This record gives sequence, structure tokens and C-alpha cells, in this order.
Amino acid sequence: MIRAAGIDIGSTQTKGIIINEKLEIVGRSLVDTGAYVSRAGEQCMAEALLKAGLKQQDVAYVVGTGYGRYKVTCGDTQITEISCHAKGASYLFPGTRTVIDMGGQDAKGIKVGEDGDVKDFVMNDKCAAGTGRFLANAAEALGLPLDDIGEISLKAKNPVRLTTVCTVFVESDIMSYLAQGKKVEDILGGVHSAIAARTISLVRRVGFEPEVTFTGGVSRNIGMVRALENKLGMKLNVSPDSHFVGALGASLFALERATKDAGRHNEERASAAT
Amino acid sequence: MIEKFKDWYINRHDYAKQWKERTGGKVFGTFCTYVPEEVLAAANILPARILGSHEPQDVTEPHIFGMFCPFCRDALAQGLKGRFNYLDGVVLAHSCIHFRQTFNSWRIHLPVEFSYYIPMPNTVQTPHARPYHRSEVEKFKTAVEEYMGRPITDKDLDRGIEILNRNRRLLRKVYECRKLDNPPLTGEEAMYMAVTSQFIDKEEHSNVLEAVLKELPQRKLPRDAGIRLMAVGSENDDAEFFKMVEAVGGTVVIDEQCAGSRYFWNESAPNGDRLAAIANRYLDRPPCPVKDYPTHSRFQHVLNLAKDYRAQGAIIMQEKFCDPHEGDNPRLKKFLEENGIPTLSLEFDSTNPLGPFRIRVEAFLETIRGEELF
Repeated sequence: MIRAAGIDIGSTQTKGIIINEKLEIVGRSLVDTGAYVSRAGEQCMAEALLKAGLKQQDVAYVVGTGYGRYKVTCGDTQITEISCHAKGASYLFPGTRTVIDMGGQDAKGIKVGEDGDVKDFVMNDKCAAGTGRFLANAAEALGLPLDDIGEISLKAKNPVRLTTVCTVFVESDIMSYLAQGKKVEDILGGVHSAIAARTISLVRRVGFEPEVTFTGGVSRNIGMVRALENKLGMKLNVSPDSHFVGALGASLFALERATKDAGRHNEERASAAT
Repeated sequence: MIEKFKDWYINRHDYAKQWKERTGGKVFGTFCTYVPEEVLAAANILPARILGSHEPQDVTEPHIFGMFCPFCRDALAQGLKGRFNYLDGVVLAHSCIHFRQTFNSWRIHLPVEFSYYIPMPNTVQTPHARPYHRSEVEKFKTAVEEYMGRPITDKDLDRGIEILNRNRRLLRKVYECRKLDNPPLTGEEAMYMAVTSQFIDKEEHSNVLEAVLKELPQRKLPRDAGIRLMAVGSENDDAEFFKMVEAVGGTVVIDEQCAGSRYFWNESAPNGDRLAAIANRYLDRPPCPVKDYPTHSRFQHVLNLAKDYRAQGAIIMQEKFCDPHEGDNPRLKKFLEENGIPTLSLEFDSTNPLGPFRIRVEAFLETIRGEELF
């Protein structure tokens, strides 16, 4: 049985996926990246192997992706998260033509071909607006856990209009709304709406061809899913594994390589035998 | 021999100071690549293009607004830091408002013996531009003659034209080698070569080019060319960026930018009227977007270069706030893509985030490789 792995070292979290040749996910792991990037990759791989009941040598090929892709010590090669997200999203939702990926510090739009290939892509430049970091700062300013703010934002009846999408200045904007006595859910409604607008205008550069699949850590936030859907006027594909899509795509690339290598070895063996 | 260009690139100010000592000549800072350098060469003046240093700086804020492009701010910073204190004169041929601002600020804060503004027209294609610009080149020549205290003769002009043309011809020959399946030089090396021709004594530069041209047929890069790329933009001499691109599987085989091919691509065609030949050369050269009126001729030129050099993709290097290029780039991107050249657009500052740029460049190379990815 051939097995392959993808390790996605993101700015905030490191994700690992091990799949077998039947494309079943046999192991997965999620760890915080922190300052020691290589160690996060190693820990992630070790945990995924443990869950799969496998040893390192049982995995034929490993692809590293994410901003720390060159720090995946067990990686056989590296592929950017842009290609990996397109691959993973199109595997989970074969009709995917557009991917919105919102991670800890990146926001991306990817135009995807029928085979999961990247046709075009766009990323945020030198600004964290539209990323997980923005939402984390907003949550902190309100003293709320990051995991809760999406749900709370759905209760907004009169969402405020933020004057900035700056990740740093959003805090003072929130403070001034709190001082005006605005409700927390209305502030959060405004926060999600502003970030959705920002991301949509970025992704418009590659266009929104349906189906649209939403990936990355921020896609776990139901408030952001709804805010994007409302503004776009369409349903988004969101998998329960949406934050693993980069790692999944990497593992699929790894499996293709492992299968190809195995085929080559078999051919060599066959020709040696004759 | 090819390393000489990098050495000159790094030590350009030392070079200029030593040149002055050695020759006793005058050095003029040139703003933009539209200054008719033939006139300066005819007067034995060293033209040294004023460029930035790609370092963070803290000196320009009181002298130029933040809305002007990072390149023109970086260039002004070099003056304010005293790095160009050997200049005897400064010359601007009008191109964009950004660099005109740098020039004006320079004249106020860094006075030199000779400063001259050539009001070159932007609508270069109109027939009126020809006699007009010829007369402006003549006025410039007169001003230089007055400053130097001696006339510039026809013989001097012929020599000036030939000095410039020889350098242009040699650079074109080197660029020709980049058409090979495995170019014998990197994009980074070609960039050093083209940029240094803008501030090193042309004859000395040409002599080294000639020597390098003899070496190139035997030269092999220690790696495959990988994906053949074109660099398109304005003043892009960020060596670290070129290094990064060429370390992740690409080779820049051609450029269309003023730090490269746009500067040297065409020659002055000598005829009876030398000043007209010089003036027309600058009106007819591959244009900067500010001088591409009324018909847009630049896009076809970019595409022709991409095809001639078999570029598989183009990196559009947009200088932040450079509105002439900002005006061109959306249409240029569409035009190139419609003609089968995929593009990657990046916004450049005087210092650039290489990590995030690397992800974009690698992803761009992956999209070009397509199925070859695995």
C-alpha cells in the first residue's frame, strides 16, 4: 500500500495529512507553528504518523507547502500553497473554479481549471486586511475567544460600518464603537462584512467563476462564510476539513509522485527480469 | 570579465570619483534615460544616471511628498546622503512628474554648478516633436558649450554619437546571446551590464563588453535555464529580486525596462544634421509609457521581445505609485495573456518583501510548468 503525506506550514498553524493509494485520509495533525518552524513540521508529521499507526518509512513521499515549505525536514519536494489549495479544493469539490483562501496572514484568490490546475492567482500585498490576523485582533480588542466571534457576528441586526480595514487600527475603531454603546454583535457584524468586502475585491482580479470553494483557517469561521455568501449572492463550498485543504493538496501531489516512482521501479524490475 | 559589471554596480561612486581624478573631467548626473548623452560624450563629460540604492532611508520626508514613487524618493535620498557629491551638473529630460519632483528638490537642496531641464515632449509621435526636440537638443548643446567654455564641433558630435552607438550595439550583441536555449549569462548579470552602462565611461564599458563577448561562447551557467522569463517595468535594478527569481527555477532572458533594454535598444542614425539624428533617436526609442502618445506602440514591442527571446512568462514589475506604468499595466497584462504570454504582476517598493514575492514567483513558475509539476 502506497502512502503519501502533505505538510502545510502556515504562519499560524501547521497542518499534516497522510493518505493511502485509495485516497483515504489515514492520519492528520494540527499544531501551532510558533517560532520554531522546522520543529512544528516535525511534530506535525510525528503526530499524523502516530494517528495513522505508521512509521516514517511507511510514507513513500512527502510534499511540503505553506510559507515554511522549505523547513519541512522530511519533505521530498516543495510546492507552493497556491497549487496545493487548488489541488485540494478541486479534489473535495470537483466543480471548483475559484478558491478563496484566507489564512493567518495571507488572503488569496485562485482561478482553477477543470483538472485542479492553477489558471491565475492573486494574493494580498504587504497588508494583513482580510486575513486571520485581522479577526484575531478584533477578537482581542473585544476580549472574546477567536473561535466565538463568527457565531456572535451572525446575531448582528445593525452591523456597524468600519472606517478602516487596517489590522492595527481596527482596534481603535472597535474601541470608539464600544464607547458609543454599539452592541458587540453589531460590531462583529461590521468586522466580518468589511473583511468580506476586502477579500472579494481582491479575488475579483481573477474573477468569481462558480463553484467557489472557501479554504484556509478563516473558512472555519461561520460568520465569514455567511458574510462572503451574502455579498457574493452565492453558496460557497466549505468542507469540514477546509483548514486542511493545503495539506490535502500537498498529499495528493505526493501520492502522484509516489505512484509514478513505484511504476518506474516496477518497470525497471520487469526489464531487469527479462 | 563579466564580474566587472557587478563590481562597477556596487562601487559606482568610487568609480566616478576616480574617473574625475584620472581625467580631470566633469561628471553630470542624469535624471531618466531621455537625456541626450551624445552631447555629453561629445563634450567629454561623464553622464552618471541617478539611481536609488534599495536601502531603507530616512532623509527624504521633508523634501518630497510620500505620493511620489519610491524610486524617485530613493534617488533623492542618495543625493541628500551625499553619495553624489562629486557631481558638477545635473540634467533632466522631461519624462514623468515624479522624477521632475526629484530633480527640482535636488536643485534646491543640492546645488551644483550646472543644472539643466530639457523640456522634452511626451507626444513623441507627432511630426511637430521632431523640429521642436531638435531645437531643444541644440539649446542644451549651447548651454553645455557655455559651461565648458569651448564649442562642441560636428566632429565632437560624430564622436559622441559613435561612442553611444558602439555601446548600444555591443549591449544588443550580448542580449542576442540570451536567445540561446541555455543563455550564457543570468538576468541578474545582464541587469548589471545594462545598468552600469548608464554611469560608467561608455568607452571603458564598451571595451569590457567586447572582451565579455569573446568569452560568452565558451561560458555555461552551472544550471539549466528553467522557465524563460521576461521582466517588464520601469526602473527595476533590484538585484536581490533577480537573484531570487533565478534561484527558484527561472531565468530572466529579456527585459523591457529603463534599467535595461529600453535604454540602449536603438541607435542615433547619423545623417547630415547631427542634432536631428540625436533628437530623433530619443523620440523613436522604445518608449517609457509617458512617451507613448498618441498611439500605444509599446505593447507590440514588448510582445515582439517576448517572442524573439521565447519568454514563457512575463513578470510585470510595477513600481508603487508609478502612474505611467499603472496606466499601461492592466491593458499590457491582458494583451500579453491574449497572445499566450502568462503574466505575474508584483508591486515594487525601494525595498521588497522577498519571502512573499518568492511564493508568488514559485506559484507562477508552477502554473507555467503545468503538468510537468509531477
